[in-house]
Amino acid sequence: MSTATSALAGKRRGALGRFFTSPFVWLVAPAGIFMVTLTAIPFGYVIYLSMQDFLVGMNPIFTGLQNYVEMAKDPVFWNGLKVTFFLYAISLAAQLTVGLYVAILLDRNLRGARVLRTILLTPLAMPPVAVGMMWLILLDPSFGPVNYFIQALGLPGNLFLASPTGVIPTLAGIDTWQYTPFVVLIILGGLQSLPSEPYEAARIDGASATQMFWRITLPLLTPSIITAAVLRSIDLLRFFDTIYITTQGGPGNASTTLNIYAYKSGFVYFHMGYASALMLTLFVIVLVMVLLLSRLRRAAR
Amino acid sequence: MNGSKFWRKTAQYLQYVVVSLLILLPIIWMVSSSLKTSSEVTAYPPSLIFHPTMSNYVRLFDTLPYALYTLNSIIVAGGSTVLGLLLAVPAAFAVSWYRKNWPASVALTARMAPGGLYLLPWYVIFTAMGLNGSYISLILTHTIITMPITLWIMSSFFDSIPRDVLECGMVDGATLMGVIRRIAIPLAAPGMVVSVILTFILSWNYFLFALVLSKINTTPLTVAAFRFVGEGITDWGMLMAAATVLALPPLILAFIVQRWLVRGLTFGAVKG
Repeated sequence: MSTATSALAGKRRGALGRFFTSPFVWLVAPAGIFMVTLTAIPFGYVIYLSMQDFLVGMNPIFTGLQNYVEMAKDPVFWNGLKVTFFLYAISLAAQLTVGLYVAILLDRNLRGARVLRTILLTPLAMPPVAVGMMWLILLDPSFGPVNYFIQALGLPGNLFLASPTGVIPTLAGIDTWQYTPFVVLIILGGLQSLPSEPYEAARIDGASATQMFWRITLPLLTPSIITAAVLRSIDLLRFFDTIYITTQGGPGNASTTLNIYAYKSGFVYFHMGYASALMLTLFVIVLVMVLLLSRLRRAAR
Repeated sequence: MNGSKFWRKTAQYLQYVVVSLLILLPIIWMVSSSLKTSSEVTAYPPSLIFHPTMSNYVRLFDTLPYALYTLNSIIVAGGSTVLGLLLAVPAAFAVSWYRKNWPASVALTARMAPGGLYLLPWYVIFTAMGLNGSYISLILTHTIITMPITLWIMSSFFDSIPRDVLECGMVDGATLMGVIRRIAIPLAAPGMVVSVILTFILSWNYFLFALVLSKINTTPLTVAAFRFVGEGITDWGMLMAAATVLALPPLILAFIVQRWLVRGLTFGAVKG
């Protein structure tokens, strides 16, 4: 406990007494107890679950690390890992590139910029379920307006979500539509806090706009870009809602990410133990990626 | 204004228009499809001119229990928003007053866990307790989304109250609880409005927990929409009406909180 706390607690008591009379503890207790009950205890339980052969309706059997051994031999798991990272990589690349472009576009203080900033919020506020439904009709192979537009340009139509090879790029496109604005607004925050001195010095030295972008803007923006990347990574590695609405992991297993596979294992096939092992593995992957990116951010500073 | 500057500005505005259209056209298509008759919705080439009709919405609420689904969404989002606020406001004050930093890191770690990680044990526990499918299970689970965000937003609102103001209250003999009730909370009231709106949006939009934990009579709009898609879509107009009913409330609320929406979504990553 901090000195401020004990000062407020007033009288000198034993360490335990001070703990229970500290206002800090009393104020934080309801939220703390709630979070421990709903997240910390279930987290411990899910580790235990992952070491059981637990089919809903049957008696669970403790099997140690058997689920993890099975996972290593499961082709759907390895496919899920591949799908997860493919979807992650192309979505993140698209969102950071387009996000940077639109942020720079918005950084010039034209009158329309404020209107566009408000418009950018609309995809962010929409439920992913509604976004998925919306793209189902837009991308419908037979009557969807996107295919109509593509064919009007003289290009061949596309199956989009129904295509085994096209489904991942299509899902990446949907996520890019919905969450690039988020990247834009974070990078824009970074752009608006850039110092002006390096630009003035560069202008005196006769640097071109392109040179200034690559040599000054981009290096100075790196921390904000990585912040955006961290937040998008967390969501992209756990990509679920839009996939489950539009394809439920199909066609075949073409869009069965780890999260989709773990969900289906637990709540469609009712293998709670195996699903727990998959979910924990996914959590560790997210954790490792975030730690790697955070280290990168520290290095960039 | 010289010629080159004029063209540069025009090019700039042209890009603004393109970006805006890319964002808005899909949403306009969704809403306009919900106002078309079934033959117009699937017409090819797509019909751009049509007589708007509310018949899809009428059928949605007449043939399906959409009034109940809407009510369920309001109960779950509203309940978890209020519970989150009650739990988070005292904690946020404490975190701000005693200048603790750990809640941000706790929030970030909690945020990284896939929802399914908690959902698996919850499902087992709630089933054992007979709580599966109840409003209680839905409100409690949605509160793990609303509470940390409220905590985060409220603590930054409490941070912005000058310390002197609160310390004066304490010198005058008020208890800490009195200071919180009579000084801190009224001063941070705008933060509570922001938190309520923001967490209501996020709870309303959240899909996964209710997908598993809701039963027929507690199904919220997100899960109802998913079931609608899963039954094999034949009525696209009605489906787009369902999507619009689901998307409209958060869209309207988002315009009220604007810049806070982004801050709420970045929570845990950057302080303040």
